[in-house]
Amino acid sequence: MHYPENMNELREIISSARERGACLVPLSSAAPHIHGGSSNERAETVSFEKMKKIMAINRHDRYVRVEAGVSFAELLPQVKAAGLRLNMPFLPRSGKSVVASALEREGVLLPKYQFDYTDPLLNAGIIYGGGEEMRTGSAAGPIPMEESRADMVSPWGPGTVDYMRFLMGAQGTMGLVGWATLKAEIAPSVSRLFFVEADELEILTSLASELLFRRIPDDCIILNNVSLAAAFTDGGEEESAAAAAAASWTLICRICGYERYGEERLNIYEGYLRDCCREFGARCKNVPGGGETFAEKIDSMLGECDSRETYWKMRRGAVEEILFLAPPSKAAAITKLGIEALKAQSEKDLGIIIQPQVQGRAFRVEFELMHSGDEAVAERVWEAEKSLFAAGAFFDRPYGKLSEFVFSKDSNEVDIMRKMKKLFDPDDILNPGKLCF
Amino acid sequence: MSLAREVYQALEAVVGKRWISEDEFVLAGNRVKTPEVPFTYHSADAIVLPETTEQIQEIVRICNKHGVCFVPLVSGVSAEAFANRPGTVLIQLSRMNKIVEINETDRYAVIEPGVRHVQLYPELRRRGFSYTAAAVGPGGSVLANFTSSSGDHHNQHNASRSNRYLLGAEFVTPEGEIVRTGSLASGAGWFCPDGPGPGLRALMKGYFGNHGQFGIITRIAIALLPCNGPAEIEQEGISPYHKVRMPDPCSKVFVFNYEHIYNVRDAMLKIGEAEIAATVLKYFYLPATLMMTNSADEFWEKWEGGYKEALSMPLVVHLAPRSEAEMEYEEKILLEIVEETGGKRIPREIEQWWDEHMDFFMIVGRLQSVLRLGGGWMPNKLASDSVSHICEVGASVNALLSEFTESGKLFDAPENYQIIPMEYGHFAHIEVLIMWDRTNPAAGRGVGEYRARSRNNDIEKSFHAETPGSLNVSTEQIGPLYCDANVWLRKIKESLDPNNIANPLI
Repeated sequence: MHYPENMNELREIISSARERGACLVPLSSAAPHIHGGSSNERAETVSFEKMKKIMAINRHDRYVRVEAGVSFAELLPQVKAAGLRLNMPFLPRSGKSVVASALEREGVLLPKYQFDYTDPLLNAGIIYGGGEEMRTGSAAGPIPMEESRADMVSPWGPGTVDYMRFLMGAQGTMGLVGWATLKAEIAPSVSRLFFVEADELEILTSLASELLFRRIPDDCIILNNVSLAAAFTDGGEEESAAAAAAASWTLICRICGYERYGEERLNIYEGYLRDCCREFGARCKNVPGGGETFAEKIDSMLGECDSRETYWKMRRGAVEEILFLAPPSKAAAITKLGIEALKAQSEKDLGIIIQPQVQGRAFRVEFELMHSGDEAVAERVWEAEKSLFAAGAFFDRPYGKLSEFVFSKDSNEVDIMRKMKKLFDPDDILNPGKLCF
Repeated sequence: MSLAREVYQALEAVVGKRWISEDEFVLAGNRVKTPEVPFTYHSADAIVLPETTEQIQEIVRICNKHGVCFVPLVSGVSAEAFANRPGTVLIQLSRMNKIVEINETDRYAVIEPGVRHVQLYPELRRRGFSYTAAAVGPGGSVLANFTSSSGDHHNQHNASRSNRYLLGAEFVTPEGEIVRTGSLASGAGWFCPDGPGPGLRALMKGYFGNHGQFGIITRIAIALLPCNGPAEIEQEGISPYHKVRMPDPCSKVFVFNYEHIYNVRDAMLKIGEAEIAATVLKYFYLPATLMMTNSADEFWEKWEGGYKEALSMPLVVHLAPRSEAEMEYEEKILLEIVEETGGKRIPREIEQWWDEHMDFFMIVGRLQSVLRLGGGWMPNKLASDSVSHICEVGASVNALLSEFTESGKLFDAPENYQIIPMEYGHFAHIEVLIMWDRTNPAAGRGVGEYRARSRNNDIEKSFHAETPGSLNVSTEQIGPLYCDANVWLRKIKESLDPNNIANPLI
């Protein structure tokens, strides 16, 4: 294990590994680690647990800059105190690294602010596998970071390459990211939470896509009854009762008002929301199937991380995830096919989260197979993934043997990817064997 | 110099006799069109016009086999889109002008390189969509603006740069392989630019594009935006004397003038925080006055008759909400912010120009008027960072330019820059536009002096106000200041283009 405290130490660790012919894998979040991207039997681990500086929280220009070891639990209170909010995943575990989450392109709760798939990540400081340091976007130059008068928030470049995109989804195979800048948004002064329930998923995916195209809601997410209950209860009978009371599918969305005439904005946007629901034959309510107390709990937990003793997805003991992207036209149909492919999984242990992304232009679908050590689950997942791929699911974040399968589909793309890997990590010391490397 | 016969014949066999030429009068019409730019002039040895991706692939393979350089182009505005050395073939992509798909459910359009804004914009608008149409005029290539030029446009305040809306892409590598990026590579359609794993989309464009240095982009998908206002636009007269109005209770333009850019900054940030308005930008006053006039005489009359002062620091705002109630809400907030920040509405007779030229918020039909005076012109700075920092850069422009305007080397317009906020004020883009008399040798030298001074000034003041471009002489000079951007570009180019034939600018 290596524990760098700053970028210089990170560079030295990489240089030393190159000299020794050793391999490295980055680890920036606390356990549990679900996908295996940060474990590698062939590599020494670079833990970022000593790189925990919150380098900047800027209310005026709405961004944060943090080192790779900073977790949601550490950052959120400070962001809130500054009158800001993060565009973050749905109820992540408290020890999850903010930087790792963004690098892995995890789904976000505020798709209205997601102009590109890379949002909310703006730029980063990297040490490549060859030992070179780079700062991306407007942090690149022309003068050293500590002397710059720039806020260093622009995401593009330097020059004609969008280097950040080589780092995202790369599972640490190209370079090790020591810090990153992320967008932050103004915390609303007032908000109203709404629930739209349906038995047919397609109504909700169509509705969510349209709502976000018109940029009506801030928070926006669709959950099946299992995920809704697991996420917003503390388990046991409370969870079972919530799952039974919930509709098959629930779209949760929040309308916000800001500093000026917030209530007036709420009224106008609630009108838009209700009009849009009517167009899609849906009805929005202030209280979900679980009742008013349940609604209040959802309201208070949305936009937080999960600080409970056991992470909500791990309450049964373990979880296997299937993660993919789908366009609006296919999201519901592919999800339905996934449910069919996973029919061997007990319905009460199959959570499904469907997050509209990039202003409603795509959906990030997550199947959560919660179990208590059932060895058949991994095979079930693998079979389902193959069916989903054939149906048009896009596995943009493949882990394990799914990587090999996904990358076998386009050899030209893989050739170019390997050429780029050779440039950034010439000795193949970073997380070897992952993805197509 | 002409191509070896066997090369010419091989290329001719790919595209057919009609779509290749080495006639001098054809090649002469395809040289750098901006004589004020200090490029060495070359004619290409031949120009070919392929129709398909597969034809491009064959052309590129022939070029590799015979060591012939190639440069792809469509509109030919950029000096980097022309031959810069002997032994070069121009690959003119204008025949590849198909709108391949408009997907209304998944909200993207797939286009070929030859599709122009004037072709795509109306097709989308009548379906209720819009897109980030670069402010380059109707004739610009949509694909080139998304992948090669800066692609900035007037409506970035509630949207962003075109970079953010580039989805799946197909390109031919410099060695002649066809590569597809993002979801397209997995057979999942065009909707996503990145993955699986890292995104090869990184190669398509950073701050700028690479003008074919990493291959030829043959198809892209772009994300579509909602289009407020009527599907059909009322137009009167013939270009360039046309008027485009949008009589709609949900469309209103305001132009305010400010004393100082820091007040403009405050207004931009407050408007962004309130998430109101479709368009917010501090526009250049010289192009604005040029676009408002129909002759050079009329320009001078207005410029010297008060427009220069009335538009010295203009903030253009277009409100385009979805309902009259929201219009009332947005207007109330806007006027409150302008009051707080010290803006003054410009005289109605000037502001009215925007009401009559709503294409300013679409594809900027009057843009050619900006070059009416016939002199040299050059954009400068071209960078983005926070609204605060970019306005700080803007605040330094007057003093920098005045030295050159007062000595007569540059046109006397020391506030001639635009700042366009993006994503409700998360970032802003700056562009300084300098103009000069290109018949005056002293002015020509002054441009070089100004550029050097501008760069030094940024470094002295610790600004981020410039960005390296594609792999050329200038990038080799400044790249070391930007984390060795030049070195990385060179490495990538050598890796993708071992024969260095794809638009080699060095």
